Amino acid sequence: MAENRIEILERALERQKKARRQAESILEVKSRELFDTARQLKEANEQLEGLLSEKTAELQGIFVNIVDPYVVMDTYGNVIRMNSAAKEFLGFDHAKNPKNLTELVHPDYEQYTRDSLRQLFRDGFLKNYVARIQVAPGHEPFVQINGSVIYDRDNKPVAAQGIIRDITREREAADLIREQKQQLDIIVDHSPLGIVLTVDGQIIKANHAFEVLTGYPHQEVIGKKLASLSTPEDPDLGARLEREMARGTRDTYHLVKRYVRADGRNILAKATVSAVRDKNGKEVYRVKILEDITRQREAELKIHASESRLSNLIENLNTAVLLEDQDRKIALTNQQFCDIFGITAPPESLKGYDCDTAARQSMGLFEDENGFLDRIDEILKARELVHGEELLLKDGRILERDYIPIYSDEHYQGHLWTYSDVTLPRLYKQTIEQERNKYGSIIANMNLGMIEVDLDDTIQMVNKRFSQMSGYGETELLGQTATEILRVSNKEIIPEMLERRKKGYSDSYEVEVATKKGERKYWLVSGAPRYDEKGRLAGTIGIHLDVTMQKELEAQKELLLKELQASNRELSEYAHIVSHDLKSPLRSVNALVSWMQEDYRDKLGPEGQLQLQMMQDKIEGMDHLIDDILRYSSIQQDAAAQEEVDLNQVVSNIREIIFIPDHVRIVIMDELPVIRAIPAQMHQLFQNLLSNAVTHIENPEGLVTVGCRDIGDFWEFYVEDNGVGIPPEYHQKIFQMFQSISGKRKGTGIGLSIVKKITELHGGEVRVASTPGQGTTFTFTIRKQ
Amino acid sequence: MKGIIFTEFLEMVEEKFGLEVADQILENTSLESGGVYTAVGTYDFNEMVSLLTALSQTVEMDPGSLLYAFGHYLFGGLGKAHPEVIASYKDPLELIYGIEDHIHVQVRKLYPEAQLPTFTILDRNPDHLTLVYQSERGLYAIAHGLMESCFQHFDQHAQVTYKLLEPNGTKVEFQIVRNG
Repeated sequence: MAENRIEILERALERQKKARRQAESILEVKSRELFDTARQLKEANEQLEGLLSEKTAELQGIFVNIVDPYVVMDTYGNVIRMNSAAKEFLGFDHAKNPKNLTELVHPDYEQYTRDSLRQLFRDGFLKNYVARIQVAPGHEPFVQINGSVIYDRDNKPVAAQGIIRDITREREAADLIREQKQQLDIIVDHSPLGIVLTVDGQIIKANHAFEVLTGYPHQEVIGKKLASLSTPEDPDLGARLEREMARGTRDTYHLVKRYVRADGRNILAKATVSAVRDKNGKEVYRVKILEDITRQREAELKIHASESRLSNLIENLNTAVLLEDQDRKIALTNQQFCDIFGITAPPESLKGYDCDTAARQSMGLFEDENGFLDRIDEILKARELVHGEELLLKDGRILERDYIPIYSDEHYQGHLWTYSDVTLPRLYKQTIEQERNKYGSIIANMNLGMIEVDLDDTIQMVNKRFSQMSGYGETELLGQTATEILRVSNKEIIPEMLERRKKGYSDSYEVEVATKKGERKYWLVSGAPRYDEKGRLAGTIGIHLDVTMQKELEAQKELLLKELQASNRELSEYAHIVSHDLKSPLRSVNALVSWMQEDYRDKLGPEGQLQLQMMQDKIEGMDHLIDDILRYSSIQQDAAAQEEVDLNQVVSNIREIIFIPDHVRIVIMDELPVIRAIPAQMHQLFQNLLSNAVTHIENPEGLVTVGCRDIGDFWEFYVEDNGVGIPPEYHQKIFQMFQSISGKRKGTGIGLSIVKKITELHGGEVRVASTPGQGTTFTFTIRKQ
Repeated sequence: MKGIIFTEFLEMVEEKFGLEVADQILENTSLESGGVYTAVGTYDFNEMVSLLTALSQTVEMDPGSLLYAFGHYLFGGLGKAHPEVIASYKDPLELIYGIEDHIHVQVRKLYPEAQLPTFTILDRNPDHLTLVYQSERGLYAIAHGLMESCFQHFDQHAQVTYKLLEPNGTKVEFQIVRNG
């Protein structure tokens, strides 16, 4: 065990030896390191000391010779060193008159100074200390001090040094600049004009007015491109000005620009753009001054519109207008002016024309040529309002002239002449008077009675004729009730008529009245409503015509007509009776003669037979006569018996019925019309004329022509022959009853009377034209239905 | 790890468990330094771990208790090496409070490369101290022993309790309450 223990101890000892050696070598290394470090430190120290002394010498030189005041103070502020500049500036020498610097500080800066000193000793330096100091009564300059702390070898602060700069002037200048800048800022910020400063088009500064103008808040405006907010109203002009500005040939320009506001609204602004250049001419800033002219523009537009309305009004005015400027040049005139003075040129072309010249040219139109010119001069000299002056023209027209001088802000600007043609109004009154007289005299003297009554039928006015008609004097009638004084027997129709008149109708009716003498009279009344000056119904005016006479004549006529109808009827009956009574014995006579001829032929012998034959002929003629008389008397108007009659057919039938000698021809020259008539009468008419015509032709080539023509309301027919003709003395007689001029053939003398009666029944007439030996033409007319 | 920790550890092993045990753990453990340590040297921390593990196996005691015991022992060793440090304190709590700001500052002057635990004071009054131990090594048991020894040195008593803020012991809160 002991042996084992020894081994352990030997091992432990071995470890301890090794540990000692290890520790020794560690310490050797450490010692060497320490030695090296100490040597390096010594070298560095020497270097630093050298450097320090150099710097100290250097600095001392600088401080002594420094222009600015230099002061060293102890930690309490007592001056321990100062250079000559400091002595001069601070006004004391510390060697003779020890002083503490803190005593110099102006009371306003005491707290600041205390804080600054604390800062100085804490940080070791102080920069830009600025304070006011009191160096002598009345002399209190502003100083700036930069200082640093001086430490001893133990790094303990022992003093502080500082360089003092008198910055009173600088400060005053800075204050002035600041003040001016403030003033400028106030001006800019309160300017009603938007002001922006841009660099390369980017806004770097903008005033309040600009923000108001564009509606963008300040923070959004700054940095924005001005071009993104605006476009020139005239882009070409804008581009040109911009080019000139960029070239440097232009430093400022004015331009109207359209701005888009933040709220999207558009505004117009007049921009004054100026370039601010450096000494090389390079643009540094651009200043833009903006004036919102949106309203101004709107106002201009409104004024323009109102001007054009006004000039439109003047152009179309019914009064001649002449506006002259202060130099008597035409500023405005209208068509009416040209019309009055007979100027053919359009009114707008007269603008600028000299009015003095114009007046001289037109003076010939006036009655008083020189007076016209003189008066113009007089008016222009007075420059006072003239109203309604009358001018007589040679052609009879009368003009009324007004003169209105125009002043603006007390300054004479020109004047306005107006002319109106008052010829008609002047003549009007006169004309009315004449008309009144004319109608008054017509009313007074007309053959019609006139009466005016009010709504109660009270007589307001009567004319002379009315007095005569009624037999009452005018004074007796006025104020009386018309229906009563005139004793109107059918007055029940009056209210009815009055009602109609109230509705504005005129009417016409008959009244039966009694005159003052009591005679019954019939008056035809035309009544019309009468209105007062306000257009209300005031009564009626009646025009009266005395129709008593007509009324009586009418009654007589009616009586006669009735009598005539009765006698006609009697006559017709009489004709029938007579012809029947006459024909009956005639037929008996004829029968007896026939029997005598047959029974006593042989006994009578040729002589007797001839006489009997002649007797029979006379009986036949008597029979014809009776037939014709009967026919004539039976011709009557009878509308019911009328029908369409083709006259061509009528003539054709006649040609076949009547005896036509071989040498005679009947020719229808024109197509005859179809008319409405009684067929038998038309047949009778043409048969009588044609029989007459063919009978009286001795010409070997007898020709009878029938023709017709339309003469408006009538058809005109003719029947012409080339027969023996009728002597003029018979032209009237032939149409009378029982007048026959024919000796050759037996005629009853009634045929043409029948023709006459038929044509007259048809509203027409018949006439004859004839040359004996050459022929006869009967012409007759028939009214169309 | 500073050589003084190794030399004090081995001295404690010699003193408490005998030369044989010390020799045995040094001989039976593979150590880069060959088991040779001087207080002024610096050695790998893993060697301490190996030595502790070997001791724990040899004497059949858990490493935590061994470290706690080492803490008690170390206070005496350090006190002998630098008596002026302890002498400048009159109160154990003052001393503990001054570890970080005073003692460790002095350690760094001698051994700039030293890797020291940090002690952060959370609460302090005349009879009570709360602090947080923090170290990569996780040797809080040493600190525990050191603190108790400190009170014994000044003939005072204290209740030292701790709570692991990190399970591996790299961050531990200590409550020190002075008794009587």
